[in-house]
Amino acid sequence: MNHLPPFAYFAPRSIAEAVAMLTREGVGAYPLAGGTDLLVRGKRGHPFAKTVVNLKLIPELRGIEELPDGIRIGALEVIAALQRSALIARELPVLAEAAERLGSPSIRNMATLGGNIGRASPASDMAPALIVLDATLTVEGPTGRRTLPVESFFRGPGVTVLTPGEVITNFLVPKMPGRSAATYERLGRSQGTECALLGVASLIALAENRLEAKAARIALAAVAPVPMRSKRAEAALLSGPLTEDRLWDAARGAAADCMPITDIRATAAYRREMVEVMTLRGLRRAWEQAVGGRA
Amino acid sequence: MSQTYVGKPVPRLDGLEKVTGQARYTVDLDLPGILYGAVLRSPLPHARIVDINCDEARRMPGVRAVVTGRDFPYTFGGPVKDQPFLAIDRVLYVGEPVAAVAAETEFAAQEAARKIRVTYQELPALFDPRDALGETAAVLHPDLHTYRRASQYDIVPGSNICTIRRYSTGNLEQGFAEADEIFEDEYYIHAVAHSPLETHAAAAQYSAAKNEYTVWTSSDRPYRLATVLSEALGISLNQVRFHSMFSGGGFGGKAALVAEAVAVALARFTQGRPVKVVYSREEELTASQTRHAAFMKLKTGVKRDGTFTARHADVVWDNGAYCSLGPDVAYRGVLTIFGPYRIPSIGLLSRLVYTNKEIGGAYRGFGTTQATWACEAQMDVIAEKLKIDPLELRLKNAYVDGDLYLNGQMMRTVGLKDTLTLAARKIGWGSPKQQAAGSKRRGIGMACTIKPTATPTTSYCFIRINQDASVVLLCGSPEVGGGQKTVLAQIAAESIGVPIGSVSVPHPDTQYTPFDDAVGSSRTTYHMGNAIRMASREVREKILVHAGKILGRQPEALRLSEGSISDGSGAELMTLEGVLQKVVPRGGCIIGEGQYSPEGSPLLAAAPGQTAMSSIFWLFATHAAEVEVDSETGVVRVLRVAAAHDVGRAINPALCEQQIEGAVIMGLSNTLFEEFKMEKGRILNDTLADYRLASTMDLPQIDSIMVESMHEEGPFGAKGVGEPAAAPTAPAIANAIFDAVGVRIHNLPITPEKILQAMRQSAKNPPVQD
Amino acid sequence: MSIGIEICVNGLHHQLDVKPQTTLLEVLREQLRLTGTKEGCGTGDCGTCTVLLDGVTVNSCLVLAVDAVGHEVTTIEALATDAGLHPLQQSFIEHNAMQCGFCTPAMILSAKALLDRKPAPETAEIKQALSGVLCRCGSYKKIIEAVVAGGEQMRRER
Repeated sequence: MNHLPPFAYFAPRSIAEAVAMLTREGVGAYPLAGGTDLLVRGKRGHPFAKTVVNLKLIPELRGIEELPDGIRIGALEVIAALQRSALIARELPVLAEAAERLGSPSIRNMATLGGNIGRASPASDMAPALIVLDATLTVEGPTGRRTLPVESFFRGPGVTVLTPGEVITNFLVPKMPGRSAATYERLGRSQGTECALLGVASLIALAENRLEAKAARIALAAVAPVPMRSKRAEAALLSGPLTEDRLWDAARGAAADCMPITDIRATAAYRREMVEVMTLRGLRRAWEQAVGGRA
Repeated sequence: MSQTYVGKPVPRLDGLEKVTGQARYTVDLDLPGILYGAVLRSPLPHARIVDINCDEARRMPGVRAVVTGRDFPYTFGGPVKDQPFLAIDRVLYVGEPVAAVAAETEFAAQEAARKIRVTYQELPALFDPRDALGETAAVLHPDLHTYRRASQYDIVPGSNICTIRRYSTGNLEQGFAEADEIFEDEYYIHAVAHSPLETHAAAAQYSAAKNEYTVWTSSDRPYRLATVLSEALGISLNQVRFHSMFSGGGFGGKAALVAEAVAVALARFTQGRPVKVVYSREEELTASQTRHAAFMKLKTGVKRDGTFTARHADVVWDNGAYCSLGPDVAYRGVLTIFGPYRIPSIGLLSRLVYTNKEIGGAYRGFGTTQATWACEAQMDVIAEKLKIDPLELRLKNAYVDGDLYLNGQMMRTVGLKDTLTLAARKIGWGSPKQQAAGSKRRGIGMACTIKPTATPTTSYCFIRINQDASVVLLCGSPEVGGGQKTVLAQIAAESIGVPIGSVSVPHPDTQYTPFDDAVGSSRTTYHMGNAIRMASREVREKILVHAGKILGRQPEALRLSEGSISDGSGAELMTLEGVLQKVVPRGGCIIGEGQYSPEGSPLLAAAPGQTAMSSIFWLFATHAAEVEVDSETGVVRVLRVAAAHDVGRAINPALCEQQIEGAVIMGLSNTLFEEFKMEKGRILNDTLADYRLASTMDLPQIDSIMVESMHEEGPFGAKGVGEPAAAPTAPAIANAIFDAVGVRIHNLPITPEKILQAMRQSAKNPPVQD
Repeated sequence: MSIGIEICVNGLHHQLDVKPQTTLLEVLREQLRLTGTKEGCGTGDCGTCTVLLDGVTVNSCLVLAVDAVGHEVTTIEALATDAGLHPLQQSFIEHNAMQCGFCTPAMILSAKALLDRKPAPETAEIKQALSGVLCRCGSYKKIIEAVVAGGEQMRRER
């Protein structure tokens, strides 16, 4: 049997309690959300928690609801809930599209949005979608609460801007602009559940004349130390009327912006090439959906 | 005469146990006083062991034994006994067991193992068998010539060649001289893991008073392992007892002592308490066994009309650190590289080479998978150059009944051509190609294979009919997943004349069930089936003689069917139970004994002195695949596979389909997803997250076709199915990829990057038309 | 550090002593002796440890025992009752949808979770629902056929 190493354990009932426990326990105290990342690390013998603070019993960390300024998603909402939410399907379909591609059905029943983002894997399937949707997250800690864009949350592989004692509590995702659509493309060697070789989220918002983009956001996963936006790709899309050529320019821009590495799954060269291919595919779909969508 | 059970998709006998979770595998075993084992493994690929300090480990709570190779300095192995139970004075691969701990809990054993301190002196390591063949390469087994070994294998002491085989027929030089075209191609096939869902696991218990070992195992060959163990320890066979449990898959990986070796070494020192050793998934992937990787050079001479004149094959097998069953793979399995084709002159150089990596062992196909890759990939190269349809080229050269094999054995019940034409028809060979949709390109390809069965081997069984007419089939064939119990029960029920529901097939126990060579080499239906036929005949005759006496009739006039005795008119005269109540009123049974070996069969006749290469039956199969290649990403999807297999006779068509479907998926997975990523002899991708197995999402449409060529000596005409199914999938996929995007991959695995690279190369260098 | 918990497994309540790091899989196999749930990897990649938690599939190797408190755990052992086998168990037998059988409990539970939620799924949905359980024997084709047939029987019985 593959055992976890021993740890001290707390199960707070409120955010304030959780923050207090994490602060008090200090270094070596980790928050536990779904467990699909943290517990795997423990099983694999990687540096692990001396203390685990289980967030699952805190009701304020749950919920998917419509608010005046967007959709609130509690940090402890599981990925499967994002997949199944009628609200998300209606307002933020790209989030459901990304959710569907993450892991296996069981993993989706356990993994949480907060855990996925908090893990800060460069290959996070949820990060690019949140970034193109201009999502923010709220963090609570010993010095209080702050809100920041998901895009600025990552500092490196497995490294975030969280300071000791802080936890992600909620995500707020603004409703999408009018005449817009967003897609998520993911590349793997097989058809099944595997860590993505790369992921691309694309959002195109059409101008009133529908001939050009008034806003464009492209975010990439697994091709940089952190999930990243491609400024070159976005600039290309906004530089004139939308055409297939302009989409190509944007795709090439994304390939130029990305910083892939060679690892056991793929070479850097292949990843860079595929960023161009998959960005183009994602943009084509987003463009098509935006043109065919509601005003 | 129609049959009641043979030829029917009888539901599996073990189905109920498996769907309710009641089936117990070795990993589920619990025994009174059981201890748990953990292994300390070498972090280095090649090193001398300078010192092992177990003091701290021994003092840890719950620890009952700490064992090193010095405590248990025995060696074992396949045809060459080159492997220690635990490393003695050096280590030869990352992951080699160096010490083991038995403790009250698994966690305690794992913690204690971490406290064992080993000092190593690192030595230069070899990872490529071609480097290991070099003049100045370090010799990994300098004592090779001192190892106990089976005499028919040629070793090369002082080198890293464990075994070598040279073989030739006809006149190679002349054959190549007569050829209109000569093809020289090199192919590489990579090592893959068996990775059964149940990791390697075993339990062992030692009785000091009798110097006896009892072992619980998921192995497919408990008798062979018992023999290996008794030989290694210098004790008698009746001092070794192997219990078989249900196996959670083996695919060849459980054909040798793996977890068993550690469990036995620990059990020796736990004062009679049993010890269970369960490999983690990481240990399963990195420190059990793998399929042999191989470098294959194929030189083939062909006439313009597609007839073969000569072929030379030079195969270098990557053995890993210890040979296990490698010598057999490199001796027998390799011959499939000449394909199921008439080639008048052939030459073979097959070398099994040691490297400092995980042990290469038996893997579904037993060398034929690797050989088929090279043979069938080159077939399509030949077809393209000669402008002959790949199906036609194969049909033209394919063995038919009456052809002679390489050693002069006459080939009989050769269903090969039927497998070719049926698979081709099913896949739509020759149909106009579908239009490409966007970046997706479709293609069709095929490959066929030939596989012998290990010959001669022996199976024994006892059949016992209890006083209430319930039947017990005592045979040594473990249930490894292929439905062994079910097929053997079908044969018994049919042959005796009893309802299949009355037949029970207990797990083998070498103490009580008689000898069986192995569940392997696709031999069980044929060999154990024949032993069962023989035993069934004996009990049936005894029953009818008894019934005759009771009824005052001649036994010849009586029939036994579904437990009912009747005469020619069909009216029931008495039940089997009734017979037994009369014959053994105070309890008892009727016993039959069966034994089958093909030794001496006229079917094995060959050229003088060459009978050893004959096979009592030959298996043939063709896979035809349709793939879709994304020409922008290189990602391959297998859409359809038509798999036609000559099985002789499908005793249970559903179980044959299971084997075929299962092997297609395994072949697809091996070829497209699986690959060890190595760094200085260490496997980096040691989890199932990074060592990808095919899932339901990768399932193609699979059409299984059974060709029944009706073997004259097989039970009801049966031959076998499980092994060859693994071989043709890789070349069928590769050949289909060529049809789709015009590139040929020579080195497995097939990856999107290789396809894009190859497409780029061929765009730069378009093939020259002559 | 020992924690006393009460968990509900297959409708029965159990008082157990566990450590914080004890997983639900360990509790099921080692304390409750329900060995139908298997460990194939321990890291959530193979699916053989699949159980239902409030009717949805989870990898019990990654669920802490303490996190099962207040939820209903269903293992394969719950499916057959005195009345007989679950339709899925029956259809798996009839369609010979297993070889070595190691993944069978996980496959059946995954299919049950799907069919309880969506009685008439498409084949693509069945493949998705089972995509987290690996079968090295390669029984996928017959497993899917058995799930389709089992689902039909479940609808008939409703």
